[in-house]
Amino acid sequence: MTQANSALQATADDVAVSYPSPLKEFWQGFSFNKGAVAGMLFMLVVFFAAIFAPWVAPYSPIEQFRDHLLTPPAWLEGGSSAYLLGTDELGRDILSRLIHGARLSLFIGVSSVLMSLIPGIALGLVAAFFPRVAGPAIMRLMDVMMALPALLLAVAIVAILGPGLINTMIAIAVVALPGYVRLTRASALTELNRDYVTASRVAGAGKLRLMFVTVLPNCMAPLIVHATMSFSSAILEAAALGFLGLGVQPPTPEWGTMLASARDYIERAWWVVTMPGLTILFSVLAINLMGDGLRDALDPKLKRAA
Amino acid sequence: MFTFILRRLGLLIPTFFGITLLTFGLIRMIPGDPVEVMMGERSLDPQMHAEALHRLGLDKPLYAQYFDYLSNLARGDLGQSLVTRENVWAEFTTLFPATLELALCAMLFASVVGLLAGVLAAIKRGSLFDHGVMGISLTGFSMPIFWWGLVLIMFFSVSLGWTPVSGRLDLMFDIPPDTGFMLIDAWRAEAADPEYNAGAFKDALMHLILPSIVLGTIPLAVIARMTRSSMLEVMQEDYVRTARAKGLSPARVIFVHTLRNALIPVLTVMGLQVGVLMGGAVLTETIFSWPGIGKWLIDAIGRRDYPVVQNGILIVATLVILTNFIVDILYGIANPRIRHAK
Amino acid sequence: MSLLEIKNLSVQFGRKDAPFNAVEGLDLTVNEGELVGIVGESGSGKSVTMMAMMGLLEGQGRIVADKLSFDGKDLLTISARERRKIVGKDIAMIFQDPMTSLNPSYTVGYQIMEVLKVHQGLRGAALKARALELMQMVEIPAAESRLSAYPHQLSGGMSQRVVIAMAIACKPKLLIADEPTTALDVTIQAQIMELLVSLQKSQNMALIMITHDLAVIAEVAQRVAVMYAGQVVEMGAVPGLFRQPVHPYTEALLSSIPEHSKGASRLSTLPGIVPGQYDRPAGCLLSPRCPYVQPNCRQDRPALSPHGEGAYRCHYPLLNKETAR
Repeated sequence: MTQANSALQATADDVAVSYPSPLKEFWQGFSFNKGAVAGMLFMLVVFFAAIFAPWVAPYSPIEQFRDHLLTPPAWLEGGSSAYLLGTDELGRDILSRLIHGARLSLFIGVSSVLMSLIPGIALGLVAAFFPRVAGPAIMRLMDVMMALPALLLAVAIVAILGPGLINTMIAIAVVALPGYVRLTRASALTELNRDYVTASRVAGAGKLRLMFVTVLPNCMAPLIVHATMSFSSAILEAAALGFLGLGVQPPTPEWGTMLASARDYIERAWWVVTMPGLTILFSVLAINLMGDGLRDALDPKLKRAA
Repeated sequence: MFTFILRRLGLLIPTFFGITLLTFGLIRMIPGDPVEVMMGERSLDPQMHAEALHRLGLDKPLYAQYFDYLSNLARGDLGQSLVTRENVWAEFTTLFPATLELALCAMLFASVVGLLAGVLAAIKRGSLFDHGVMGISLTGFSMPIFWWGLVLIMFFSVSLGWTPVSGRLDLMFDIPPDTGFMLIDAWRAEAADPEYNAGAFKDALMHLILPSIVLGTIPLAVIARMTRSSMLEVMQEDYVRTARAKGLSPARVIFVHTLRNALIPVLTVMGLQVGVLMGGAVLTETIFSWPGIGKWLIDAIGRRDYPVVQNGILIVATLVILTNFIVDILYGIANPRIRHAK
Repeated sequence: MSLLEIKNLSVQFGRKDAPFNAVEGLDLTVNEGELVGIVGESGSGKSVTMMAMMGLLEGQGRIVADKLSFDGKDLLTISARERRKIVGKDIAMIFQDPMTSLNPSYTVGYQIMEVLKVHQGLRGAALKARALELMQMVEIPAAESRLSAYPHQLSGGMSQRVVIAMAIACKPKLLIADEPTTALDVTIQAQIMELLVSLQKSQNMALIMITHDLAVIAEVAQRVAVMYAGQVVEMGAVPGLFRQPVHPYTEALLSSIPEHSKGASRLSTLPGIVPGQYDRPAGCLLSPRCPYVQPNCRQDRPALSPHGEGAYRCHYPLLNKETAR
């Protein structure tokens, strides 16, 4: 016995075991993924531009320079350094519109994620904790919502509520809801079978405490990853609604709305089409890269599988 | 297998009724008076208003209205378009082949390229090719496809002039819509009258290429990623090691022992893409002026043609759950463990 | 001439500049029709050695050896195609977990017939007859109907019989059984072991039995190699090695068997665990755990020294000491 103890002692002395803080561990996992870091840096820039849009943008997004209609970007012949990314058909500075558009897109993204995350988690936990009646009822309702193609459901909701910023957010949030509910329920059900939950239950924890204090924190990793991914699809859907003329209405500078009016100029002014599209693509790509990095860092099980 | 199908069918029915409730409720959620909404903004005298209400059955209690709606559906009556006065089902059946043709071509493109890229990336894990496939597929996954369509038109149609900008067929052709599938119709018309309809098939094909690529982009990215990760997972399995220990060729190990098992989750994901395709069809058809149900629904929403919106959505949703049902069954066939589960 | 001859085999994993030797300086010979046991704790490199020999590591590990020959063929220089003609036919392997070793998507019959088709070109009725014969050889009841069963419909013991049938399908000269019974119920273990040994005799195969069950090895093997942390620490003929272990590790292994500790108040154990990738000692790999450790054991790694028919790897072998049994 003493021999065993001294051996254990020896190994403990040999290897000084220090556990890194969870945050540091997370950052190590996340920063290992170069794409995720690049995506994060890009999004930091976009967030910065969005927050300080009035100071960062060279012009007002709706100011029309009538003498400079469809000016090409600065590096092209005929371009002007006054309008870095050129101007649109009404002579508005595209860069300024994109910067102000970032405000809108990020705002829609963040609010619709929150608007579906919170009810989604609540419904998912209820579905997991009440498997008799509430659970199946909620899941059937989610099946119905999942049966409709996301964009079509969003279009239908906007068609009924009318176009506009708030209704766009509501439509996107409703569409994203089933994903959260199913994910929360699935991970909560797995956790419910674990011994620590039983221990907590035996110790007399109430249903609410079990739901939110015991189980929920252990379901957060996949939820955070999913929230990131749904943030990017929210931006895409908002732009798609704008493109269809059902989202935020002109002259508000929304990325998708900018594309809708640019369609008529694909033969004459490619930059009017290209710039908003590239902005959407890069932002969504950056968020998805971050999502991949988050998954690697937060969910070691998934990491090994991939 | 039979009980397996029955069980899945049992799950289908409540979902279908849920959808009818949703489409029924959708119209009632429109703010304002439904008669005014449906009859236009003209001011109606109260008597006509009441008549219209009665004719539409809107004066009955809600549950009775829902019951009427269901019994109409059961009789196959999906109502009339307010704009064209056409039967909604008839409009749907004329337009659906266009969407189906586009969706099938997009799915064919996405599956062939996606599976191939995913399998090769998994085999050459960590190589430049692998990184390329992963990068491109993440970009494809993040693509705003309405913009992607515009870029492709700008490049291939406007700059290079290789492909037509919109529609299903050049206006100089007049081809009877026998099957509704333009490729087949054009092929048959050209075969019947090679002189008059010369080049019709090629024209139909050229019209299909860009929309198929645009609609297939996101499914392609999803399939490629899923195939790769599923392949990598299965390659770690003990039975793949067994297959190699049997002295089988690498091709046999990959295609017979790995791919078959790796395909099971990919198949599910492909089934789920049907919903994505229907959503994408709305955008793709709008960009390419493709006369399918996506464009039909968007136009109907623009014209406030509520019967079309209501029952068009009902049809699309039913289609989606039916395809998911079929995918479930196929999943059972592909995976003996599920088929035999009691 | 021996059937299998391995000289100074090393298998490295990880980066080139900081490699991890999963197997190091391993020597092993197996003669025709011989039953050789390899024993050692988990992670001692038993399976990796065999996988390396069969070319199953697939580019993950780097294999270095002075000699690696089977049946007169040099496995080091042989092409992948040539190797595949041997692997599965003349060398076959049985893995630990039968439930995951069979492909869930194909019937048992398909998986047995696949080997016969690929290596012996059997077709049609002859193919089916041979598959049936194999199923009967491994004592599967209702063999005919079981041919069309899927792996998930079979029990663990049944699956392992199928795996064995698959392995002996082409009458291999060498069968490697990698802990063939650890994943099975205790009641089934003896049956499978008995089946393997009787097949070895009736088919006149050489059999390498990888296990950590010393009792089984003592009963059936002719020779045994004891592995520790990627090295063979002791090798010898069976009754001798068990009666008079020379290496402290072998002694420790033997004394951890309950039967050997009769009369003692407490089962003897060896403290600590097998060193992993990052904590390999500079000297003798056993030095942190060895009860007889001397100062120079911690610095110098001992080489393999011959001893009778076998060999050992220790600075202070227990040559004249009464063993603990």
